[in-house]
Amino acid sequence: MEIPVELKHHKTISAGHKGLTEPLLVRWLLTGVALIFLSLFLFVPLTALFTQAFEKGAGAYFAAIREPDALSAVRLTLLTAAISVPLNLVFGVAAAWAIAKFQFPGKSLLITLIDLPFSVSPVISGLIYVLLFGLQGWLGPWLDLHDIKIIFAVPGIVLATIFVTFPFIARELIPLMQAQGNDEEEAALVLGAKGLQTFFRVTLPNIKWGLTYGVILCNARAMGEFGAVSVVSGHIRGFTNTIPLHVEILYNEYNYAAAFAVASLLACLALVTLVAKSIVEWKLKVSN
Amino acid sequence: MSIEIRSVSKLFATFNALIDVSLTVPSGELVALLGPSGSGKTTLLRIIAGLESPDLGSILFNGEEATNRHVRERQVGFVFQHYALFRHMTVFDNVAFGLNVRPRKFRPSKAEIREKVHGLLKLVQLDSLAGRYPAQLSGGQRQRVALARALAVEPQVLLLDEPFGALDAKVRVELRRWLRRLHDEIHVTSVFVTHDQDEALEVADRVVVMNEGRIEQVGTPEEVYDRPANPFVYNFLGNVNLFHGRVDKGEARIGDISINLPEFEETDAGPAVAYVRPYDIEINRLRHSPEEIEAQIRFIQGAGAVARLELERLDTLEMIEAEMTRERYRELGLVEGEKVFLRPRNMRVFLGDYNI
Repeated sequence: MEIPVELKHHKTISAGHKGLTEPLLVRWLLTGVALIFLSLFLFVPLTALFTQAFEKGAGAYFAAIREPDALSAVRLTLLTAAISVPLNLVFGVAAAWAIAKFQFPGKSLLITLIDLPFSVSPVISGLIYVLLFGLQGWLGPWLDLHDIKIIFAVPGIVLATIFVTFPFIARELIPLMQAQGNDEEEAALVLGAKGLQTFFRVTLPNIKWGLTYGVILCNARAMGEFGAVSVVSGHIRGFTNTIPLHVEILYNEYNYAAAFAVASLLACLALVTLVAKSIVEWKLKVSN
Repeated sequence: MSIEIRSVSKLFATFNALIDVSLTVPSGELVALLGPSGSGKTTLLRIIAGLESPDLGSILFNGEEATNRHVRERQVGFVFQHYALFRHMTVFDNVAFGLNVRPRKFRPSKAEIREKVHGLLKLVQLDSLAGRYPAQLSGGQRQRVALARALAVEPQVLLLDEPFGALDAKVRVELRRWLRRLHDEIHVTSVFVTHDQDEALEVADRVVVMNEGRIEQVGTPEEVYDRPANPFVYNFLGNVNLFHGRVDKGEARIGDISINLPEFEETDAGPAVAYVRPYDIEINRLRHSPEEIEAQIRFIQGAGAVARLELERLDTLEMIEAEMTRERYRELGLVEGEKVFLRPRNMRVFLGDYNI
């Protein structure tokens, strides 16, 4: 029996259209918005920065950087990072290990405390230390008695930096270690490995890219921190200024070219950080 | 090495994982801990390994108290359900791990380790893959690497936690037969956990049936299957049909069927249930005796070595499952909707009014 078949003509679908992607116009629009956003907040400022930095010529640029106060600011920034990052590394790994592998009372409190620096304004973070260690602070008289300087000195800067960069490594590792579970560590223990052996041979290699990522972020923030460090620093030229603080001083003196020249150091750090971050992200994706 | 589990209990705030469990595993035996989820079998295994500790009771290895021994001092090998291979190490390094982490004094030389590892990999038929990483292996291959790794440290006891649970059906059957052969060769005391009764019955020397933290029955596969101690064991180890009735002073009346049961001589009148396996349901077209139950065939699954039928009793409207060989099925030429007569052979009667 013949059954008549009716063919209805549907709108022709453009070549390359798959069921799940947005129509071409929407894709172009979204990409365009993202590009405009990126340009406004990234490319334009960066271009402006480097243009202004070299405004008075390459000679002035290098002079601004080689200036003694600028150099000591660079040294202080490097020192601060060199102390805070390793300390936060040890702490972050320890906290992530405890949280991911064990159950203990106060676990959720610890997780909340780790997130604390993110929710507190950097200025407040710095203020806490002033209230604690400053001359009028709780421990002030005791510190003064023993001639220990924390506020308006390098120790205070390091402490404030440690506080604000606290969470980066821990937060990166906790979900990673939770996702990886305990099985491999248990297997290592049953096979006779001791605690440290298990950590270095089994756990660490598994978390190495997450750890690197956390360290990169931690370092970037440690070097670039302004608010908290500004409060505790005292802005003593040549002694308690980090690069961001030094940039502020130069800018306040209307020495724009020098300010941008020193700031370009941070901009270069930012670019290096971005590249390193992308490489590690790619490695993380590949290793999973 | 023999294992003795003495009155072990593991109690949590919300539920009891193990309640007063006692078991002896003689040296060289292959024992299966069989039970549904939540029966406590994995908890018991992990307590034997030392990965968890009991709240009450003790564990003895070769008669020596081992409850407080740390896991790495127990000389046990553990195979995890999801392999737990070290993902960033090659197959070779995975198997060599236990030997590499030994203190310098007890560590064999590099050459000895290499020989041992290759020997084990040959045993599990993976020698050609020594340089691969776990991610490059199939599930069955990974599990064999895990087994080789556990055996590398020459454990006195081998513990396997649902070792074939994550593999597909064919691989599972192959590997469990392979495990049985391996055990016949090596004779290491082994305990493995499974929820698959076929696996337990096929592989183990003895089966320990567990439920809700307690041991229901311990015996050889034949014993637990043919002579189940209670309804739970009967039901867990295969399909079952229930026939309700009564027992009074040694006589059981199940419907129109009367059975003489000397073991219930002393029992006062009370409800009872008869358990019958599907292949013990005899089906006939014509009534042979007044005891037979009339039923209507509701569903036939004729494909495969065994034909399965679902029938509805005409008196109680309960569903009965029956099985018969292909030949018998062809012989009878049954079709769905037909009315037939059932006769249960070989009933096992339990007191009480159980409902599963």
